[in-house]
Amino acid sequence: MSTLNLLVAVCTAYVCFLFLVAFVADRLAMQGKKAWLRSPLIYTLSLSIYCTAWTFYGAVGSAARNGFEYLTIYLGPTIVMVSWWWLLRKLIRIGRTQKITSIADLISSRYGKSSLLAAGVTILAVIGTTPYIALQLQSVTLSFSVFAAQSDGLAGQDQARVALWLSLGLALFTVLFGTRNLDAKERHDGVVMAIAVEAVVKLVALLSVGIFVVWGVSGGLTDALNQIDASEFGEWHTDRSRWAGLIFLSAAAFLCLPRTFQVLVVENDDESHLRTASWAFPLYLCLISLFVVPIAVVGLDIMPEGSNPDLFVLTVPLALGEDGLAMLSFLGGFSSATSMVIVAAIALSTMVSNHIVMPIWLQLRPSGASVSGDVRAAVLTARRISIVGVVMLGYLYFRLSSGGEALASIGLVAFCGLAQVLPAMLGGMFWRGATRMGAFAGLTAGFAIWLYTLYLPSFGVGTILPVSIVENGLFGMAWLKPDALFGISGMDQLMHALLWSMLLNVVAFVGVSLVTFPSPLERLQAAQFVNIFEHSTNARSWSGGTAQTEDLMVMAQRILGAGEAQALFLRHARRQGARGNLPAPTPDFLEALERELGSSVGAATAHAMVGQITGGMAISVEDLMAVADETAQMLEYSARLKEQSEELSRTALELRNANQKLTRLSIQKDAFLSQISHELRTPMTSIRAFSEILRDTDQMSPDEQSRYASIIHDEAQRLTRLLDDLLDLSVVENGQVNLNLRDGTLRDALDRAVSAAAIGDDGVQLMIERDTSREDIVLHTDLDRLSQVFINLIANARKYCDSKTPRLVIRVMKETDRVVIDFQDNGSGIAPDAVDMIFEKFARVSDQKAGGAGLGLAICRQVMTRLGGSVDYIPALRGANFRVVLPYRTAMAAQ
Amino acid sequence: MSDRADRPGAPTVFHERRTYRRRRVMDAARVAPILALILWTIPLIWPQSGEGTVSSATALIYIFLVWAGIILLTGALSHLLADEVDEPPDPEP
Repeated sequence: MSTLNLLVAVCTAYVCFLFLVAFVADRLAMQGKKAWLRSPLIYTLSLSIYCTAWTFYGAVGSAARNGFEYLTIYLGPTIVMVSWWWLLRKLIRIGRTQKITSIADLISSRYGKSSLLAAGVTILAVIGTTPYIALQLQSVTLSFSVFAAQSDGLAGQDQARVALWLSLGLALFTVLFGTRNLDAKERHDGVVMAIAVEAVVKLVALLSVGIFVVWGVSGGLTDALNQIDASEFGEWHTDRSRWAGLIFLSAAAFLCLPRTFQVLVVENDDESHLRTASWAFPLYLCLISLFVVPIAVVGLDIMPEGSNPDLFVLTVPLALGEDGLAMLSFLGGFSSATSMVIVAAIALSTMVSNHIVMPIWLQLRPSGASVSGDVRAAVLTARRISIVGVVMLGYLYFRLSSGGEALASIGLVAFCGLAQVLPAMLGGMFWRGATRMGAFAGLTAGFAIWLYTLYLPSFGVGTILPVSIVENGLFGMAWLKPDALFGISGMDQLMHALLWSMLLNVVAFVGVSLVTFPSPLERLQAAQFVNIFEHSTNARSWSGGTAQTEDLMVMAQRILGAGEAQALFLRHARRQGARGNLPAPTPDFLEALERELGSSVGAATAHAMVGQITGGMAISVEDLMAVADETAQMLEYSARLKEQSEELSRTALELRNANQKLTRLSIQKDAFLSQISHELRTPMTSIRAFSEILRDTDQMSPDEQSRYASIIHDEAQRLTRLLDDLLDLSVVENGQVNLNLRDGTLRDALDRAVSAAAIGDDGVQLMIERDTSREDIVLHTDLDRLSQVFINLIANARKYCDSKTPRLVIRVMKETDRVVIDFQDNGSGIAPDAVDMIFEKFARVSDQKAGGAGLGLAICRQVMTRLGGSVDYIPALRGANFRVVLPYRTAMAAQ
Repeated sequence: MSDRADRPGAPTVFHERRTYRRRRVMDAARVAPILALILWTIPLIWPQSGEGTVSSATALIYIFLVWAGIILLTGALSHLLADEVDEPPDPEP
């Protein structure tokens, strides 16, 4: 059995083992046995996704070529991990509370859920990652060819076939385990477990080779160090700018690479795992890089001139006859390559499907996403296609670039490209003033400069960038030369690109952020991100997101109106016992909210809207806002219409009332006119009749003459009295009367009234009972008018009291702020149905007793009103009882 | 894991001794990356040629010693900060 066949067998067995691990882990996770699947150790090991085949093989190659520079690639991430307390903890908390699914999602979510930004970051990630995947494929085919060289060699055709089979296998694995779970959270237990296993394999492999080299070849630690000093490494020579720049670059890349973001943030299950990882992952990095220099030194020492230093990890054990160790080393490199491709494919497919495929798909679909089921299925399909697409893109890139140096340098180029996301990311986490326009400007500037100064030239001069541009600059302007922007030449190409791209990125980001104004959603998200520790008290529950509630709040405000929505949320927050003003999105609350919204926009729409926000699916909040805005406009319009119609009906009612009043007044006027003409006509008739008799009768006794004349006189007097009364009433009613205010006692007024009422007393004598001792009350009022009222009341008693011995009791009662005078007779009183009428004009209790015009009580009431008091009929046990009330205030003022 | 020290709403001037200690541990955790960065940028001031150049072995030992120190420091800090989660808030003075 040849080495190559053995290699293929081992490789297949190893892949099968990985499938098994992933399968079992997924199974266990489904059964809920997550305890050890999601331990801090697994989390730490999964972070090793950062170390790809490029670092596994390439670190030794880099050390052999550039000395200690390779260390910077590990120092950067170490510093980032040590910054866990203020940086990673916040990042992970944001990722958990905001349900971030990728770095593009993080950026888009922070800047007002901008789909444009998300698509931009996704494209950047795809451009940066595709060559990287090609690099992994290359490293595996290279390592294959090393073994093949020992037996019968590997033709170019076979290399391509190895790469193809590898890509297909990786795509299959990723589709199987990467899109297995249908739930929304982007966590993959099987994949993480497989990566953790691979992390152990690559560490063990590198350490084994290192230990073998140091103790087996060099003969101990001291000898190895001496050998290092004696080798061409000799002394410390490192490009200073590259040392500092690469530390920064690798730190930035560790945060921004889609695959590291995936395991660091998205796959994180428990924030406390970070505490362990903060020291354990630096330890891992330290161990991985510990033996790189000794291996490189030994490789340079024993390997023939011109052999590829990138493959020393493999070739040194092979050259020394350690086939088993070489096999282990091969598996280490294989692990590095495969784990990177798998996670990168998952991360990229999430981004591509969420931010590019789904938006387009939703745009193309006519009906919009109202049924959530088919969206789910579409997302899954999109993700699977994206995975295959991403891996195949890597394969295509590998075939087209046909390996070589260009590909080897692509690692740092990709780092630099993805680092462009860093300003927008950190700015979004720590600066509330960062805006979407700023992030967009920064990313665009950084991306453009990176593309021009680093990415395009990396294909080699003359491939994509014409030689003329490289030599003379863009448009022939020397200061636009891709390797010497602004005329500053002599810098290392990578550092040159890094400096200018990051500098202009940050300047554009900050500058544009300062002058633009963020949308409400952006400001909401900014507050959420920057003050994440205040907004999320319960970090452990995945479902409890205040962000969700805030989104619901924003939506509810647009539909219900700000005040009502806030009241609703506050009410539920109190009911739940929440500390803030926002309730947790519990099913109860969501149901209640849906009901409230349903009353405004209809139940189906409300359900879809709430479902979309809480489900967190492909429809952006922006879309919902648009819907809400439209609804709000419609509601406003209908509210205006309603208001107008209400006003109309109000006016109509007023008109109707006015009309009724007018009609009533007209009837009253008619009644008044007929009454008054009747009243005037009766005496006029008798006057005319008797004057005609006097004129026409010749023989008439003086007795008769005198009787007729006195009748005429009496009737004329009655007429005069009636006219006087009418005049008086109209004067009092119109308020034109002049009150003659003066001081006097109540007794005087009553005395005068009693004596005046006695004039012309001809019938039965009316007995008047008074308690004069209680009448000594000094009043300041119009005593004449008051007497007029009293006269009227006494005269009425005389006229209408039907007792045989008529008696009138005048009772005076002094209260704190008023004087009450009761006039009670001993007659039969006024019939209850007539009580309402007696104060009306021309109202008379009975026609038989008609003595006056029926204006007396009407005048009394008007006069008393003018004097600030009142006169009323008080139903008494027996007899008629009128009560006059005078304000005592007037009396006090007089004293 | 709420960061009470950062919260503007809780302006307590004096703290219990234990709380005070914990705050300083948090400060240390914030400063640790800066320390690491400084220590690892020291090679930049090493002479590149001529007299006094640092030998590769020494450089290697220096960098890895710093690395080990940082790992130990971070491990200790993260262990100390582990209690932070369960500790009750400041008792009212």
